[in-house]
Amino acid sequence: MRIGALWNKLAKPKNIPRLFAFSLGIILIIGLIVPLALNPDQLYVRPAPQEQVDEGLAIAPYDRGGVPLKEPGNIDPQYPENAESLGMITGYMSPLAEFVSSISPYFGTSIYSSPGGLIDEILYYTRGFDTILESSILMMSFIIASWLSINYTMNRKNDEDEIKKDVKKAIDDSNRVASHVKANDAKARAKQLRRDN
Amino acid sequence: MDFVTLGGNLLGTIRLGDIVLYLTPFSLFLFAVLLGFTVLIGLSKPETQVEATMHYLNNTEVKVGQKELKQRRFLAVICGIASAGAMITGDLFNFTLFMALVGILNIGIVSAVKQTSVLDSAFNYGLIAMMCSLPLFGGAAIILAATGTLSLAVLSQMPASPMVVLGAVLMLLGILGESGVAPFFASKAEMFRTAGSPYIVIIHLSSLFIIVRAVEILLLVLW
Repeated sequence: MRIGALWNKLAKPKNIPRLFAFSLGIILIIGLIVPLALNPDQLYVRPAPQEQVDEGLAIAPYDRGGVPLKEPGNIDPQYPENAESLGMITGYMSPLAEFVSSISPYFGTSIYSSPGGLIDEILYYTRGFDTILESSILMMSFIIASWLSINYTMNRKNDEDEIKKDVKKAIDDSNRVASHVKANDAKARAKQLRRDN
Repeated sequence: MDFVTLGGNLLGTIRLGDIVLYLTPFSLFLFAVLLGFTVLIGLSKPETQVEATMHYLNNTEVKVGQKELKQRRFLAVICGIASAGAMITGDLFNFTLFMALVGILNIGIVSAVKQTSVLDSAFNYGLIAMMCSLPLFGGAAIILAATGTLSLAVLSQMPASPMVVLGAVLMLLGILGESGVAPFFASKAEMFRTAGSPYIVIIHLSSLFIIVRAVEILLLVLW
């Protein structure tokens, strides 16, 4: 194939998502043979798998120590100097969670348990700016969608062009129905006439 | 590669917890230029196109209505601010978020256009932007898993392992798709063939600047 033909194919917007999906697939397949290994020296430390379960902790594997507002938990940010009171709410759990963890050894593995205090610290304290950005992406999509629906989708019956088009369509439709009725009428009459004769 | 070799001397940092924004002459220049363009775009009025009709003596005017103008100007200014933010960010995940914000705003700016060809290519670009979130955020996540950090200052001092290279290649693909660089240009190039020029231009401008910044970030991560 000539290179010019290839460029012409690339110039059609319809082909671009397919090309992108194809190249993404190729890179992901190549990714399967790249050696992947988790670096244990992570931003927010995690205990080794099963370690806390073997120790028999009630909120395993999410126990990071610390007493809320008294003693900081085990948490290791990139720039500790920017977040001085970090770790103070790491160990926070809601009263319900406290109660369930006091009667069950499996609280940490259940669906309704989540490291609430820790997630709050990451989301709103050390990485708060990311949270603002994420929600602004959502806000922008809502602004776009709601503007379009208010001004176009919901406002369609006030659009002059749309009204003209609708009127034209209605006239065409009624004309078509009328001609249909006429044709059927003529047919039926012809049939009746044939039968009478 | 080091900050100093790429962007010049470190002039200061803006500390937001773990996200630290870096001010080097390079990033500050890009930031200031983009903000300047954004101000110009915010103050200007949109152009009007005249479409000639073949074989007849009448021309049609393609105009941007008052309401649509306001919406488009708002989105264009936010798009300028978002891409200016991407210029000075010092955090990998932060950069991908700015990139995603710019992508959704690009679609928003042309979403109210009443030309089918423009809307069609905007739809195709939207498909790419949707697919791009996988390589963009996935690439950042793979780099985080491989190195344990997202800060560009720390990443620039680390040697690149094969896993980091995979993450960087994924991120590069995401950036290429989202900013519409060759060979994925057609959907984005067709998108701004409509009236309302200064607002439409920010689509082009933001991807241009983000590509420059992305090259710097990939050099920091890989070398």
